[in-house]
Amino acid sequence: MAEIRNFTLNFGPQHPAAHGVLRLILEMDGEVIQRADPHIGLLHRATEKLAEQRHYVQNLPYMDRLDYVSMMSNEHAYCLAVEKMLGIEVPERAQYIRVMFDEITRILNHLLWIGSHALDVGAMAMFLYAFREREDLMDCYEAVSGARLHAAYYRPGGVYRDLPERMPQYATRATKWHSEASLKASNQNRQGSLLDFIEDFANRFPGYVDEYETLLTDNRIWKQRTVGIGVVSPERALQMGFTGPMLRGSGVAWDLRKKQPYEVYDKLAFDIPVGSNGDSYDRYLVRIEEFRQSNRIIKQCVDWLRRNPGPVMVDDHKVAPPPRAEMKQDMEALIHHFKLVSEGISLPAGEAYAAVEHPKGEFGIYLVSDGANKPYRMKIRAPGFAHLSGFDEMVRGHMLADVVTVIGTQDIVFGEIDR
Amino acid sequence: MVTIEINGKPVQARPGAMLIEAADEAGITIPRFCYHKKLSVAASCRMCLVEVEKVAKPLPACATPVTEGMKVWTRSPKAISAQRNVMEFLLINHPLDCPICDQGGECDLQEMAMGYGKDVSHFSEGKRVVVSPDIGPLVATDMTRCIHCTRCVRFSDEIAGVTELGAPGRGEHMHIGTYVEKSLSSEVIGNVIDLCPVGALTSKPYRYSARPWELTSHSSVSPHDCVGANLTVDVRGRQVMRVRPRENEEVNEVWLADRDRYSYLALSHAERITAPQVKRDGAWQTVDWNTALTAAAHGLRGVVEKHGAQQIGALAGYGATTEEFYLLQKFMRGLGSDNIDHRLHQIDFSTQGAMPAFPWLGQALADLDNLDAALLVGSNVRKEQPLVALRLRKAARGGARLMAVNPIDYELNFPLTARRIVAPTAMVSELIAIAQALLESGGEAPAGFAALAAGVAVLDEHRAIARHLKDAPQSTVLVGNGVAQHAQQGALQMLAALVARLSGSRFGFLSEGGNSAGAWLAGAVPHRRAGGAAGAAGLDARGMLTAKLNGYVVLHAEPELDCIDGAAARAALQQAECVVALTPYVTDTMRDYADVLLPLALFAETSGTLVNAEGRWQSFTGCTTAPGETRPGWKVLRVLGNLCNLDGFDYEASDEVRRELEAACSAVLPSSKLEWQAPVPAAAGSGLCRIADYPIYAVDGMVRRSAALQQTPDATSGVARLNAATAAQYGVAGAAKVQVVQGGGGCVLPLALDERVPDGCVYVPAGLAATAALGAVDAVVELKAAE
Amino acid sequence: MKTVMRFFKSLFLLELLQGMRVTGRYMFERKITVQYPEERAPLSPRFRGLHAQRRFPNGEERCIACKLCEVVCPALAITIESAQREDGSRRTTRYDIDLTKCIFCGFCEEACPVDAIVETNIYEYHGEQRGDLLMTKDKLLAVGDKYEQQIAADRAADAPYR
Repeated sequence: MAEIRNFTLNFGPQHPAAHGVLRLILEMDGEVIQRADPHIGLLHRATEKLAEQRHYVQNLPYMDRLDYVSMMSNEHAYCLAVEKMLGIEVPERAQYIRVMFDEITRILNHLLWIGSHALDVGAMAMFLYAFREREDLMDCYEAVSGARLHAAYYRPGGVYRDLPERMPQYATRATKWHSEASLKASNQNRQGSLLDFIEDFANRFPGYVDEYETLLTDNRIWKQRTVGIGVVSPERALQMGFTGPMLRGSGVAWDLRKKQPYEVYDKLAFDIPVGSNGDSYDRYLVRIEEFRQSNRIIKQCVDWLRRNPGPVMVDDHKVAPPPRAEMKQDMEALIHHFKLVSEGISLPAGEAYAAVEHPKGEFGIYLVSDGANKPYRMKIRAPGFAHLSGFDEMVRGHMLADVVTVIGTQDIVFGEIDR
Repeated sequence: MVTIEINGKPVQARPGAMLIEAADEAGITIPRFCYHKKLSVAASCRMCLVEVEKVAKPLPACATPVTEGMKVWTRSPKAISAQRNVMEFLLINHPLDCPICDQGGECDLQEMAMGYGKDVSHFSEGKRVVVSPDIGPLVATDMTRCIHCTRCVRFSDEIAGVTELGAPGRGEHMHIGTYVEKSLSSEVIGNVIDLCPVGALTSKPYRYSARPWELTSHSSVSPHDCVGANLTVDVRGRQVMRVRPRENEEVNEVWLADRDRYSYLALSHAERITAPQVKRDGAWQTVDWNTALTAAAHGLRGVVEKHGAQQIGALAGYGATTEEFYLLQKFMRGLGSDNIDHRLHQIDFSTQGAMPAFPWLGQALADLDNLDAALLVGSNVRKEQPLVALRLRKAARGGARLMAVNPIDYELNFPLTARRIVAPTAMVSELIAIAQALLESGGEAPAGFAALAAGVAVLDEHRAIARHLKDAPQSTVLVGNGVAQHAQQGALQMLAALVARLSGSRFGFLSEGGNSAGAWLAGAVPHRRAGGAAGAAGLDARGMLTAKLNGYVVLHAEPELDCIDGAAARAALQQAECVVALTPYVTDTMRDYADVLLPLALFAETSGTLVNAEGRWQSFTGCTTAPGETRPGWKVLRVLGNLCNLDGFDYEASDEVRRELEAACSAVLPSSKLEWQAPVPAAAGSGLCRIADYPIYAVDGMVRRSAALQQTPDATSGVARLNAATAAQYGVAGAAKVQVVQGGGGCVLPLALDERVPDGCVYVPAGLAATAALGAVDAVVELKAAE
Repeated sequence: MKTVMRFFKSLFLLELLQGMRVTGRYMFERKITVQYPEERAPLSPRFRGLHAQRRFPNGEERCIACKLCEVVCPALAITIESAQREDGSRRTTRYDIDLTKCIFCGFCEEACPVDAIVETNIYEYHGEQRGDLLMTKDKLLAVGDKYEQQIAADRAADAPYR
């Protein structure tokens, strides 16, 4: 009798459901996964090592490129770590802006997640709707920072610029596809400031979330594909270092925004959704609820920001460069600008760890400084890395098609895992 | 020692020391602009204000002496507030120049403003503008940026000994300028660039070319004089951008001569040769190294086979590394020839056998600071070894009596207690007279001295010099380059050593070039092997030229300029069958006489060792790679040795060469003792006598090609100088130009009347293109007015 | 009762029909697709696109070769060589931005003390050869000359925030 061996299947790195450059070596018995071995490193850019040769502000744009679907959250953790070592307090308005954009980022991330996850599982329409909403949020990103993705907007000491008073508008000349009236309608929510635009979005968004739920929550195919797939018990989730929705989906109510509040989260009202079964469907439900909670936070931030103008950067030019107008007239300001640009800030010798509740989980930056203007060592704690480590356990015994579901439910992004 | 407390920490300090010194020693930083450890205290910037217990106002740490039990706070609220306010005042009139200022990024003002200043100013009024004087080709000025710390003024006044920079005006009208606006004539003026805490004084050749953060710093050693000043060479990419001093208290302190600082400009001179070339049928061809080295080896071996080994000779420049000297002599002696010499400036070799292992200074460089008396013989130390002159000036400021016997009344930067300015031919009898004066108060005359002393009159001045030398607890007699280039070098050295012995002074050589000591130790002299061992004597530098050999190897030299008898050198090389030139530069003259040109790396491009006058071996590594196909000299000589089938040329690093030589030199102890050898009295010369020295910016190929140095007042294209009486005597008093004829060669030079030149002498420098045609310097000179 | 309800819901594909109602409704909604390149999405004045070098109104190039953009560039995309021009002013002799290295963080513009290097709102540029994406000083100045009005307007719009 011929010896029967398990079939080894190469999944990725070019597979569309591999979410980037995941390569899986799957050992299969028929269509059942016996073992899944994720291979990582195809997107390795040595960010941690590069950071050792760049001064603290120069490292910031590299943070955007870690988890490249939740850019500002990455920046946030980095800025918090630097600020912790400097011992500086960020102006309250900057804190609110950061929180607001963190939540916008969370929605952005979850939109991409739900769009691609549903697409992987077989629901095309979700992808289109998710990207429609992402477009509005990208406009917010662009309006505030000048870039749709890699914002480089948060800075140690605050944020680079205040929110703009005007939103850019569509050209209103009629085209082959759109009448003037239609284009004017597109501009309707762009008449006021960025805050007006965000508020308009926040008012519309819960309706959209309802639509997503109509499309998915009760959908039998969706449920067949997600319920009971990739079950993680709360104990195992904790043991494997899961964080974020991956942990909350298993029923552990752990959220840094509540447990170790940073910025102004302790002044805002929001809830932490938790799942009960720890399967992919529960994690889906948790993330859907996070849409609503994030929207709630955004609304509170918009309200506060409207009422409280003020500085968005610490008023200490030893840390934050002076405003441009001042730099061009004032000798002290010019010197500080010159030195901060060429040498950057020097952090006192020591170490600090700062983490934020990133859309994917706990994203942390661990900095070691020897007193110089560059990190002696920077370690990035990427949530996706721990999640991917649990991948084998989550897919073992499932069908090949469920691999895609589990990749989707883990919300893997290789920028942060390979870094 | 007194005990004080700074920031709650007990600190020991020397009584009389200033607070800032005590703090510096304890590693506590106090901001400062005007204070510099090598300069006097001015207390003009007020940046170093600190709080002292029981004193109502903050005190300047640089001008407050320590007292027992003093309690000082440098970072107390009062001190911080004082420093911040001073910083704000300093910046009121400072222009917003950082983006275009060369100092940006390494500016004390920027750093203090970041560290101790406020981040915003109260002042928005217009700023003061000051006109910047042009102070020459080396230092660029932007006096609006000046904060009046007066470091540059104090440097030129106290250290350099030229009172050309000053601070006229008071208050708002104060500014730094030259009293008489002209190029500063100091040969160490480049140091004000390092001293200036702001961008008011910056390097002109370096202007706008780089930022400090782009530069990588390498350590090196200067090859231009026998001090061996320690350098920091800043390189951007492959290009040397600038040279700064590297602090070494025992050698160059924190200073650098302009020659050391700006010679790097010659690294990229148009005359650099970057690929080997071979002359075939009278035409030059660029070839690969293999071809060129084979041609060189073949040519030299051909001469040896045809005419014998005694028909080849090697001439090496003063600035080659010790490793190059060693390998060159090993190569020549491997071929069977002892004809090797580096003493291209020397005329008289009569006492070379009596020389110690290498020309030693007789003391450490740092000992010069504490001298009580010194006699300089034939030395224009200010231009020959500028950093030695700074040390002598320091001694003079401490009360030392410095004296000189010179052929020209050189403008030294220290006062002379006594001086004897005589024609070169009379210098011997001057020394005899001083020795005689010493013998008057006891001591034993060596054999043959009495015959010399007959007929020499001892004047009161000689007796004064003798007395000062003898009375001083620390005294020295130094022979300078004027002796080395003297036609009676042997006699002068012997007599100077005798004066030193009789007066109980140390005797020392201020040797020529950057590595004379290394050349002697490596055996790059015809009568000595490596480590100073005596051996059969070959031809010396002059002998090689007069003997007109059939083959020459030239290393790091342009004999037509570097040999004191340039015309003879050119003639000898031209008639030779085979001339192999290992050279960084090539000129038309060289193309004319050479047969193989091997491009050589210069000092910043090769590793090696220089030995300075005090016998200090200073090794360095290459700071950048040499251009094109250029290779370090030790590598070229290694392959040449292998191609000639010589043993012991299998080195893989210049360190191996150094270790081999060090082993040979292990028994050498520094000594400046000259075996007495009664000098033969020279026939008194008749007619006009030429005084020839190497001007400061003509001592070697690099210096001659440094564009910035060649624009300074010290650079000369050749002028005939004589005093008015002599001019009248030779009938050229009114002429603008004179024709100078000597030893069969002649040239036309501008004439300048100069009362520093003694009667019967004409001062025509050597080492210049304009004077290279003149014959031997000891020949009689004829002068006539030229159109 | 609940079981019966669930059975009928399941039998008549209720949740699927509800979903199709959502998608069906959007068939008749206003189309929001932007038909690029004929139509364009709005751009913020802060947009960070292709670089340009600006000139002063008198035609003199603004750049003074201070090299702050070069040193702050995290990706080392900028190469500057500088020298003293004949009139004594500090100028670049070479100013290259390698767009293949550039990460469009905008730090060069933030660092520039004279508003010389800017990031315009041009995002449609391409290169057919590698060298096409090496922006030399001439190319940068040409971009600046061509779009100066837009550049100046964007800077003016954003000036209060910087």
